[in-house]
Amino acid sequence: MEIGKEVFVTSQAPGNTLGPVTATLPSTRTYQVAADPSLRVQILDLGLACCALEVGSAIATGLLVETGLLAPANENASPAAGTTILLISGTVTDALAPAVLRAWEQLPEPKAAVSFGACANTGGPYWDAPTVTKGIDQLVPINIYVPGCPPRPEALIAGLVKVRDEIVVR
Amino acid sequence: MTTVDRIPAQSHGVIALSASACTSCMICVRECPAWCIELESHDEEVTEPGARRPRTVSVLDVFTIDYGLCMYCGICVDVCPFDALAWQPDFDYASGSATGLVQGINELESWGKVRE
Repeated sequence: MEIGKEVFVTSQAPGNTLGPVTATLPSTRTYQVAADPSLRVQILDLGLACCALEVGSAIATGLLVETGLLAPANENASPAAGTTILLISGTVTDALAPAVLRAWEQLPEPKAAVSFGACANTGGPYWDAPTVTKGIDQLVPINIYVPGCPPRPEALIAGLVKVRDEIVVR
Repeated sequence: MTTVDRIPAQSHGVIALSASACTSCMICVRECPAWCIELESHDEEVTEPGARRPRTVSVLDVFTIDYGLCMYCGICVDVCPFDALAWQPDFDYASGSATGLVQGINELESWGKVRE
């Protein structure tokens, strides 16, 4: 997977006159679990709507590291080792759903997925909209659902801790 | 944890229920734009000492909020005539399944008690 480059193109939705929708995967951020440095976590956030601001807030304010749960990864460690977490935040429309699925399929194993916010969880306020996917778990196996509209940055941390605990147990 | 201490007490983390204050009037259920509240109740007759006749009261059987659907607009909190719903700052209730985000009376009440 080439991160930071244009890597996937969605299929054309019926009636879409704009041409293929392209998206660029954001750069990943690599951390290691503070309690177990051999366990690496790459967070690849797929921001689709307003929830992405809360994700950005959690990362920009250094909450992930500040809480002592994750630490910036050791540069010398192999980037191949560790779990990649796909963080899906925001409204998944049916037009973008294939792109999300593609992003998930392109991730290397081992991987985990986190659904962040009401729209990604169940469709949320768009529960009655014909063009919104009612929960990204229809396409991607989700490990943890983080509730909120939007969830607080702290809720993201709490959700990631639950994923981490799951990985440690496994 | 320092992060939790930093969250203001009035922040919109979760909606807590005070079941004893709820009269099952259904206003929150009807006003919710996301239709995420489920409420079931039954009527009981209560005879109070000295009362001329028994009083009919609604008893809450089921009250659930589906936080997978909830859009955190707070309309239910605003419209509740009896202040049975209130915002609480708790945020740590992520779940491993979408149905795990549906919270019943016990959970909704426990959030309110933490801060009392």
